[in-house]
Amino acid sequence: MDVLGLMLGLLGAAFAAGMAGIGSAVGIGIAGESAAGVMSEDPDKFGSCLILQALPGTQGIYGLLIAFIVLNKLGLLGGQPVSISWSQGLLVFAACLPIAIVGWYSAIWQGKTSAASIQMISKKPDAFAKAVILPAMVETYAVLALLTSFITLMVISF
Amino acid sequence: MSYVYAVARLRSMENRFLDASFFARLIDSATLDDALKSLGETVYAQGISGAPDAGGFDRIIDGELIAACDDLKRFVPDKELVDLCRMPHDFNNVKVILKSLFKAREGGERRYDLLSRLGAVDTESLIMALEGEEYGFLPYRLGDVIPRCWSLWEQTKDPQCVETVLDGHLFAAMLELARELEGKLKTGAVTRWVEHKIDAENLRNAVRLQRMGCDPAAALPFFHKGGTIGPGDAARLMGEPLESWSKSLSHTGIGAALEVSQERADVQVTLSEISKALDGYLIRVLEKAKYSTSAPENVILYLLRKEEEARNLRIALVCVANGLNREFARRLLSHGR
Repeated sequence: MDVLGLMLGLLGAAFAAGMAGIGSAVGIGIAGESAAGVMSEDPDKFGSCLILQALPGTQGIYGLLIAFIVLNKLGLLGGQPVSISWSQGLLVFAACLPIAIVGWYSAIWQGKTSAASIQMISKKPDAFAKAVILPAMVETYAVLALLTSFITLMVISF
Repeated sequence: MSYVYAVARLRSMENRFLDASFFARLIDSATLDDALKSLGETVYAQGISGAPDAGGFDRIIDGELIAACDDLKRFVPDKELVDLCRMPHDFNNVKVILKSLFKAREGGERRYDLLSRLGAVDTESLIMALEGEEYGFLPYRLGDVIPRCWSLWEQTKDPQCVETVLDGHLFAAMLELARELEGKLKTGAVTRWVEHKIDAENLRNAVRLQRMGCDPAAALPFFHKGGTIGPGDAARLMGEPLESWSKSLSHTGIGAALEVSQERADVQVTLSEISKALDGYLIRVLEKAKYSTSAPENVILYLLRKEEEARNLRIALVCVANGLNREFARRLLSHGR
């Protein structure tokens, strides 16, 4: 068994789940601060604030999904690790990078947009639909990165 | 607490600002009681307990401003931003106490009833420090300037000279605090705002001195350093008609604010129109911050709007209480939100 290949694959899974997760935590934190500020004055806005705060959390889920796919592909979930070369491991690692990097960065920016949208609904509660669409636009790029990582992993065969 | 939290909270608090339609209704009130009844339906309700006399509304308005400042101090990461806005009130209090002490030396009466509660420093401690000549206890390095004020008073017996020295020190202290804050905030906007505030004060002084027929060279000591318009430029403006000031200042942002200003027969009308335009300008220079979720200058912007609201309320209530011309009062109101 080539340990280096397996290690590279695992490192990719860790990056995907870790970086996207960190991004989501930061994004949710930013949106949460804004939500807390609005709710200090207007507790009735809890529902709308919660939805907007949750939006940057999806990148963490995408990262986790890719990590699961990698672990499954490496046979680690079933307890029977596959034998892969270091170059194959490197391919798996590379496949994880789109969701790791884009997930991390887009979650932070989505958090900032969510914070702005929360401030928007504090002044104009009727504009909730518009307020959700703005951070959702950032999500597009996280979804594209997820698709890239997913398709790349699917085409790698051991 | 972070600025994301603070700005979001301020956005919610802004919803409680009184709007233009409220001011229109307030001015149209038949009596002060009716006006106070309308005020009782707003955030100012807390201050209206019992039936205040005609001047009692000042206490209500001041109370709301103090409550707003205290509120902000609880959640704004840099409390100095609130102190920066309250600093002019502290200096105003120092002027009142000093003038009272000058009068007292000549056998006059102390006018501590004119002290404002809006300053960041407790008025009692200011009185104690100034009366007891314990200048070391004074904030904003006022201890360095008070002895100068006393010697100036001894020489000239002119309170205006003392006021000019204190104003100069106020702006220097505001600039110092703003620059200190910029070290942390890294926005540059707070210092720029103080510079524009100095410009606005210099222009107000220029209008007053021009209308008094003061010679530009003699007026130079009344202008303050630190703004984008130097004292020399401000003095030069006095030689020009008011209508051309905006053109002469077109290289600065403040020039556009003066476009509306015209020479009027009544100096008070000219002054109040210019003051209104300059106050509006000082709010506009910070308004870019309203699109940011975490810009610290939003704190100053909120306090300026609150002060604008208080000013509008005072105009409206004085007008109703004294039965003044409603149309005149409407013209004096700044853009009520």
